[in-house]
Amino acid sequence: MWGVIKSVLAAFFGVQKEQRRREDFEQGKPLAFIVVGLVMGLLFVVGVAAVAITVAR
Amino acid sequence: MRTMFVWMAGCLIGLASLPAAIASGWNMPVGVTEISREIYSLHMIIFWICVAIGVVVFGVMFYSLFKFRHSRGAKSANFHENTTVEVIWTAVPLLILVGMAVPATATLKKMYDTSDAELDVMIVGQQFRWRYEYLGEDVAFTSSMSTPMAQVRGEEEKGEHYLLEVDNPLVLPINRKVRFLMTSDDVIHSWWVPDFAVKQDTIPGFINENWTRIDEPGIYRGQCAELCGMNHGFMPIVVHAMEEDDFDAWLVERREEAEQEAMGVDRDWEMDELMERGEGVYASVCASCHQDVGQGSPPVFPALAGNQQLLDDPAWHLDVIINGVSGAAMPAFRSTLNPVEIAAVTTWTRNAWGNDTGDVVQPAEVAEELAQ
Repeated sequence: MWGVIKSVLAAFFGVQKEQRRREDFEQGKPLAFIVVGLVMGLLFVVGVAAVAITVAR
Repeated sequence: MRTMFVWMAGCLIGLASLPAAIASGWNMPVGVTEISREIYSLHMIIFWICVAIGVVVFGVMFYSLFKFRHSRGAKSANFHENTTVEVIWTAVPLLILVGMAVPATATLKKMYDTSDAELDVMIVGQQFRWRYEYLGEDVAFTSSMSTPMAQVRGEEEKGEHYLLEVDNPLVLPINRKVRFLMTSDDVIHSWWVPDFAVKQDTIPGFINENWTRIDEPGIYRGQCAELCGMNHGFMPIVVHAMEEDDFDAWLVERREEAEQEAMGVDRDWEMDELMERGEGVYASVCASCHQDVGQGSPPVFPALAGNQQLLDDPAWHLDVIINGVSGAAMPAFRSTLNPVEIAAVTTWTRNAWGNDTGDVVQPAEVAEELAQ
């Protein structure tokens, strides 16, 4: 689980180690990445909105 | 090698001449409001950040090109990835962007804060002039370009403020927060005065807000900044910023003038008076489309001189001026001009340039027509 989160974070940032990428593609389950990706995407949107609302106040 | 040095020297000379270019008027104006000064310094900060990035990036690139050139036996490295370097070159731009966003957001917040204004001015864009209304003060007027069309056509020497001069400038006090409520009667215009750093679209059916607080008295000029039709270039903005006392006196004077004008509606006017007044109204409001001597520019703007329908049908003529022509370029002047002005310009167009109908339209008739 932690490994999946780290990989999704790396994807957000846009930089990933070749070795980890290979591991993910050999051992990871696609569904886990999709679910974690969606949840973290949502968290990111909520986070940006929260910053914008705080600043605009 | 020699070319290299020539290029580098060229770049250095270019960089060294930047401050001169900035001082020479190529740059945006610093302006006369707190907001305009903040925008200017943001612009300069971001400009210098860009210069620094450019120098670093191109410096590294040119150094590498020179130092590791093929003729010196350089061999290219061959590797797939370097996570550390990739993280650095992703994080650095991110930090730079966030660093620029912080002061920019602070200024944006100030720009949008239209609360606590001491004066409200409604700005209405029209093809092709501006209308200003001092809300709650009973003062309103139209501001049209005063540059003669002969200068535009090159028949006369161009004046100092060519295309940037108007008959009735917007008058504002200094040191007071003025809120602008902006809309339009026809198409989208944009009210832009660089010295205030105010540039706001005026959109039919919407009211946009903006504000300014001018620090120094003076005359500030601007233009319509949204392509709005044939005479888009002929609807300049002139703002006369006055000391507060002078502004208050001016406002009282304008209000008295408006009251006197309203009283003048009921009396009978002489033809000469109406003709004199009408000529001025025509030059300010009508001439940009129907031209100096009523020749128009068909097919969009019909000629008024010798116009048979106009000569035959005075009621239709007045109706067109009051209500406009729907689906055509002719706007309604019911709310732009007062009864005296409408009567005067109708009388003028019925009797000028060979239209010798002898008809006189009284302000009282117009007021009756307007009340319907």
